[in-house]
Formats: sequence, structure tokens, C-alpha cells
Amino acid sequence: MKRSQQLFEKIEEYLANTLSQEQKVAFEKEIAMDSKLSIEVDKQRDLHRVLSDTSTLEFKRKLQRIHQEIKAEEQQRASDKSLKLTSPIFSYWKIAATLIIFLGIGGLLWNNFKQSNHIAELYASHYAPYPVEDVTRGQAKNDLSTVLQHYENGEYKTVINELEGLAILSKKEQLQLYLGNSYLNTGREEEAILQFENVSDTSKYNEDATWYSALTYLKLNKIEKSRSILQEIIEYNGLYKIKALALINQLEK
Amino acid sequence: MSKTDDRNTLEGILAGDELIIKDFYKENLPYIRKYILQNSGNELDVEDVFQDALIIIYKKMSDNSLEVTASLRTYFYAICRNMWLSRLRKKKKLIIDDTIVQNINEIDDSIIQEIENKEQECLYRKYFHRLNDSCIEVLELFFAGKSMKEITSITGYTEGYTRKKKYDCKKLLIEKIENDPIFQELKNTQNS
Repeated sequence: MKRSQQLFEKIEEYLANTLSQEQKVAFEKEIAMDSKLSIEVDKQRDLHRVLSDTSTLEFKRKLQRIHQEIKAEEQQRASDKSLKLTSPIFSYWKIAATLIIFLGIGGLLWNNFKQSNHIAELYASHYAPYPVEDVTRGQAKNDLSTVLQHYENGEYKTVINELEGLAILSKKEQLQLYLGNSYLNTGREEEAILQFENVSDTSKYNEDATWYSALTYLKLNKIEKSRSILQEIIEYNGLYKIKALALINQLEK
Repeated sequence: MSKTDDRNTLEGILAGDELIIKDFYKENLPYIRKYILQNSGNELDVEDVFQDALIIIYKKMSDNSLEVTASLRTYFYAICRNMWLSRLRKKKKLIIDDTIVQNINEIDDSIIQEIENKEQECLYRKYFHRLNDSCIEVLELFFAGKSMKEITSITGYTEGYTRKKKYDCKKLLIEKIENDPIFQELKNTQNS
């Protein structure tokens, strides 16, 4: 049995009881003789039953939204924490910068510095490494779980060595995210961008990849580029919309 | 949590009250997350199980068939635990772990049966929500019983394009569901 638009429409009409009596009898005969067709009709019947329950679909959607809000709140709390941890370093830089002014190098440099300091703080507060998820299904399980362990431990150089040698990388877009994040954490931003931009538009990881490329451009101080990617994320209206809005607002300041 | 609190939460869930649902979510997510992550799961599994378990409660509230003898939290945790164990088994990743063995003793047969019955529905909804926005829009209108004419006037597509789109999206959805290891396992169980 080959799926086709015509077959689907026939099944839909049968399920909606809109076939003529004659057509109905003929189709039922067909179903009785073809077990695959019979399974397909049952499958579509189930699908229609479940997906016509709009109140449950709406409830599920609400839960997904709430889940995202809670995750965003958790991430915000985590980044507030990490910002607090890193802020002494920024304070030292501020002292150093103040000294430069006193040495008379001038206001222009100070402004640039303040700007890049602000950007570095923004980057630090919005960046969290892409989390390790279940990519270990299938044959490469053992190799990958070791790599992911290194990734979770923050041993990014090891991850780069291991993932760069992996031939299956092009087929595993999630791994490109891990490699990109590892580059990002080892000062190889240009290579990180290549990984993120290589994730195809139709992939379900595309939104993650786009978010990380916006952050990478931010880290490189390419504000306009970062801003335009964030704008795309906001228009896409997906999981990263709230984060992108928060970041773009802070960039305006 | 007292019985009155439980009643309020259940009514909030049924009414779709976002504040009540969010409070319940926030309060219980850490426990479920800890349990699933400790037992071979990941963050996506946590999200799926937590939401699917809440949907079971929501649907039982909707058809007035919910009987909670213990506290709501105990009941909810039992659904989550059993749902996760059943999914792990289907993914054939069940690792014998002391906490899991311990929990098997607590399994309530009626909950297990309930979960097994709903598993297919959970998969259908999960992959439906993962489709892109334009697929969701067309299929949602179609499943809600709208005519082709109504769908074209809402989406602005031509009728030919809408029909093609509906077919492509539905086919994609069915293929995604069929590729899920849990679906394949469900099918094997049904056939055996």
C-alpha cells in the first residue's frame, strides 16, 4: 500500500461517512482484503479521534508554554548566579579602565571599553552551554556517551578532538551543537559559527543553532549581526523568543 | 497538601487556570526531574512524562472519573513513575536499579492499565505539537471539522494547495509517530 493524497482523502471521506453507499461498500471490501490498508484506516481513525479533542490539545499547549516559562526562570536564576560569580573580574577591569582614563588616554577609549564590557556581561548572562540530551540512541552509543561526558565536564578541547574525527557528524545535527559550543568555549568563535550555520533550516535543532549563532556574534562584538538574528528568532516565535526578546532589550540600553 | 488544597488544584487544572497549574508544575517538577534523570532519562523525557501525566489527570477530571484515594501528589507521582518505567521498558533500556525495583512494588494496576491505554494518544499529541506552525494550523482546522472552504478562507491558501498541504503534513505526522520506538513496541504488544 502506497500512501497518496488520493488514498488519504478516500480514508477521510470514509471516516467522515461522506462516501456514497456504493463507494462505502466497495471501500470496505477493499479494506477487508488488504490488511495493510485496514491498519492504515485504523491508524487514521485513532489520529482523528485524538486530534479532534481540541480541549486536550489546548491543555497540552498550555503545559508546554508553562514549561518554557519555568525553564526560562530557572535559566535566569542560574545566569544571575554566574554573573554574580564573574562580577569581581569585571570590577577589576573597571578599575583598570578607570586608571587608563586617569592616565589621560581619553573618553573615547573609555566609552568603547564600557560598551564592550556591557556586551561581555550580556554574553555571560545569556550564555549557557547547550544541554546534553539523549543523542545516544543507536550504534554509536558508547563512543558518544564518552564524548558527552567530557562535554558535561567542560573538557571542551577533548570534545573538539573527538567530534572533529567523527564521520557521522554531518548526519547528527545535535552533535554540531555540542561541537559549536565547544569551539565557543575555547576561543574558536569563527569555527563555532560555521557549525551553527551548518544546521539545516528544516532541522528541529535549527532554532537552537540560530540562538547560539546570535550569542557567538554577540561575543565577537558584532552587535548588528547578532541583533538581526535575534529579530529572526523573535519572528519565528518559538522556544527562544522570550530569551531573544530579553537580550535584544538589554542590547538597546 | 490538604484535601481542600488538592480539590482547588484539581479544579484549577480542569478550568485551565494557568496560575494554579504553574504552581503545581513548579512545586512538583524537581521531584519528577530528579527521578527520571536518575533513571536513564533526559530533560525531554521529563517534559513529556510530566505533561502526559497531567493530561491523564485533566482528562479524568473532564469525564468525572477521577478517584484519588491518597493525596494528589502521591497519585501524580505514581502516574509519572509508572509511565516512565513503562516507556523505559519499551525503549528497552531498563536498567535494574534499586529505586526502580522498590517502586515496582508500589505499582497500582489500574494506573498501569490507564497509562498503557493512553500511551498511543500521548505519542500522537507529542508529534502533532512538533510539526511546524503552518502544518499545525491546517491540521488543527481540519481535525476540528472545518470544511475545505472554511480552511482556505482562514489560511488564505488556495483549495488545491490546502489539500496538498493537509496530505503532506498528515503523512509526515504519521511517519514521525511510526518511527518512534515506543510506537513500534506498542504495535508489537498489540500484535502478540
